[in-house]
Amino acid sequence: MRPGFSPRGGRGGFGDRGGGRGGFGDRGGGRGGFGDRGGGRGGFRGGRGGSFGRGGGKKVTVEPHRHEGVFICRGKEDALVTKNLVPGESVYGEKRIAVEDGEAKVEYRAWNPFRSKLAAAILGGIDQIHIKPGVRVLYLGAASGTTVSHVSDIVGPEGLVYAVEFSHRSGRDLINVAKKRTNIIPVIEDARHPHKYRMLIGMVDVIFADVAQPDQSRIVALNAHNFLKNGGHFVISIKANCIDSTAAPEAVFAAEVKKMQQENMKPQEQLTLEPYERDHAVVVGIYRPPPKAKK
Amino acid sequence: MVLLHVLFEHAAGYALFALKEVEEVALLLPQVEQSVLNVGKFHSLVRLAAFAPFKSAQSALDNVNAVSEGILHEDLRLLLETHMPAKKKKALLGVSDAKIGAAIQEELGYTCQTGGVVAEIMRGIRLHFHTLVKGLTAQSASKAQLGLGHSYSRAKVKFNVNRVDNMIIQSISLLDQLDKDINTFSMRVREWYGYHFPELIKIVSDNYMYCRLAKRIGNRKELAEESLPGLEEIVMDSAKAQAILDASRSSMGMDISPIDLINIESFSGRVISLSEYRKGLQEYLRSKMGQVAPSLSALIGEVVGARLISHAGSLTNLAKYPASTVQILGAEKALFRALKTRGNTPKYGLIFHSTFIGRAAARNKGRISRYLANKCTIASRIDCFSEVPTSVFGDKLREQVEERLAFYETGEPPRKNLEVMKEAVAEATEVVAELKKRQEKEKKKAKKRKQREKRQLEALAAAAAEEEENSLLDMTTETEELKTELKKKKRKREATPELEENGLEAEALPRKKHKAAIDEPVASDKKKKKKKKGAQDEDED
Repeated sequence: MRPGFSPRGGRGGFGDRGGGRGGFGDRGGGRGGFGDRGGGRGGFRGGRGGSFGRGGGKKVTVEPHRHEGVFICRGKEDALVTKNLVPGESVYGEKRIAVEDGEAKVEYRAWNPFRSKLAAAILGGIDQIHIKPGVRVLYLGAASGTTVSHVSDIVGPEGLVYAVEFSHRSGRDLINVAKKRTNIIPVIEDARHPHKYRMLIGMVDVIFADVAQPDQSRIVALNAHNFLKNGGHFVISIKANCIDSTAAPEAVFAAEVKKMQQENMKPQEQLTLEPYERDHAVVVGIYRPPPKAKK
Repeated sequence: MVLLHVLFEHAAGYALFALKEVEEVALLLPQVEQSVLNVGKFHSLVRLAAFAPFKSAQSALDNVNAVSEGILHEDLRLLLETHMPAKKKKALLGVSDAKIGAAIQEELGYTCQTGGVVAEIMRGIRLHFHTLVKGLTAQSASKAQLGLGHSYSRAKVKFNVNRVDNMIIQSISLLDQLDKDINTFSMRVREWYGYHFPELIKIVSDNYMYCRLAKRIGNRKELAEESLPGLEEIVMDSAKAQAILDASRSSMGMDISPIDLINIESFSGRVISLSEYRKGLQEYLRSKMGQVAPSLSALIGEVVGARLISHAGSLTNLAKYPASTVQILGAEKALFRALKTRGNTPKYGLIFHSTFIGRAAARNKGRISRYLANKCTIASRIDCFSEVPTSVFGDKLREQVEERLAFYETGEPPRKNLEVMKEAVAEATEVVAELKKRQEKEKKKAKKRKQREKRQLEALAAAAAEEEENSLLDMTTETEELKTELKKKKRKREATPELEENGLEAEALPRKKHKAAIDEPVASDKKKKKKKKGAQDEDED
């Protein structure tokens, strides 16, 4: 199941993604305090300077990943990459890799699993992410738009990403990302109240949720009832500490899965994000599965 | 027989759909569920009755804001009035949000329904919207969403309700940062200048004073009797000044070249200006807190109050917290550790820095912390939701905490909460009335000033117009329009600084919306009194 290369620790590693989010009702706003976008915490392939840089240096080859729209870059070290929708632009200071494909040059962007739970899930060997070229995605908890930018790379110009974020501070960055990528629709609103942004969103194929709230299953269910197609999928990242810091993580995950089942959401797969995040799980499932064919 | 209409709001416009007539609306559910996936079947069930596209991006933004808040917009009212059947009793309208349903019911009298079958139909419409409405493709539908999503989000970021709170949050963070930096910089000055004059560190321990001295003294060998008054002015102590002079004569510091000295002096000059800037910033924070949260700052002090606001994210957030949360705000790490290990939870967080807790005896620290947190919560709510915030309640609450502190020490019973609050309400109404009077006066003055400016502007514009008419007689309406536009812009530009001056009012307005029920402060105070009473009862238990 696992792709052919092992995760590299480097720096970064554990540690609460982005400051203030932990517990205590600090909703979104507290991230980082100083607006620390880019640079800083990543440290993915830290020590190696520039040899991956554009155009020159080592020979690298890019091959498609099992998931459509995701690629693996094989060089001195392997990396997960997505095809850059806006060539020549980095969103958050990530590395760009240009590869010549015949005459045309194609640019890819490195995707750091320590900063993105979706990337961590892919490297962890998740069976299906359901996010592929051409689909419509509702992304809850978009933050500054780092992972959103990769999702927009994956779905391509035919697809669409509705990115919902509550915090004004990170929403500002999100809007800036969305300006360059026309397949992202930014929505600065509380994901708890889907009726407030119902005008802006159509039916979607996939809901990705990274909201880290105690009632996140309810939030996802509310949005699914409004916007998710029958037979559409959901991908939820759960941080155990945010839901109940006293219980064992496994118990928290089990309880969340149970809550989903009550809401007509059928979980199909669960995966922990070790070693990229501590006590995190990703749950993938289907909403209102089509009835089984009669025999 | 009832006829169900369904209102669907899309980024492109409002759409009204009619469903086929049925006996009971609930009976529709299985039918809808069956047909929802199939376009053809769904078409047979649902028919577009009317579609009112938004005329411009601006009107779309107005409408999306209204829909988001659950307000009936004029455009929507027009659509419903023209296209809903005249017999109001018989018509049933399905909407996706109960709030807007209530607004429609109140204003237009249609019975509205949400949830259940309506929600299912909405899902179906959302899925097939572009096929149901003629002339709309999936592409153009998502283009409309894209445009509207951008403008809606931009407006959200632009009109942030917590603007003043953000200033407080930034300034308290900057204050902390400055404290840290000034300390490290001063240590650097001490180290550096210490090579030349090591004895000075022992004599003057204060950082700011040391830097000023280092700048003033320069080369210690040039220090003489004449420079004594200058030194005295800085250290404010003649004995110390004399000690510095004596030490300079028998110092074991090494000699220093003028060029090194220049560098030290310029650096210490920077540290001095930083310290002075810090003082100014503190003053700024104090005045801001006095405007935004007077009660809270009267009760617990500006700095701790600002820390509480900064930690909560905004004053509104702080007002929403229960007292138990406020009590341990800032001690999350200890709290979660305690919860995990089932140990003792912390007694206090940020409010530990208040003087009250330091003054209480060890065994009473927890009690006074809880009491203080109660009062802080009340104060923050009063600040957040009162029309004209005053510090009256804060002062009274502070007295109460003082009395409680005395009670723990001497056993002298504090005044009854009811009495104190009655006093506070009486005082507050007086103060508020006075403040309002003053504000109105200022407003009148501002109006007059505005009118005067307007007249001047008009005169200027007229003069300009005349000139232009003289030169270009043929120029007609177009330029006229342009000019008026310009004028308007000018006026706007003049109006904005005033708004900023009265920033407080402008900020207070959106907040009030949250609790529109509270019309006069007295009413709200009554409520709070009850709450307070409860809190005190708890305490006495």
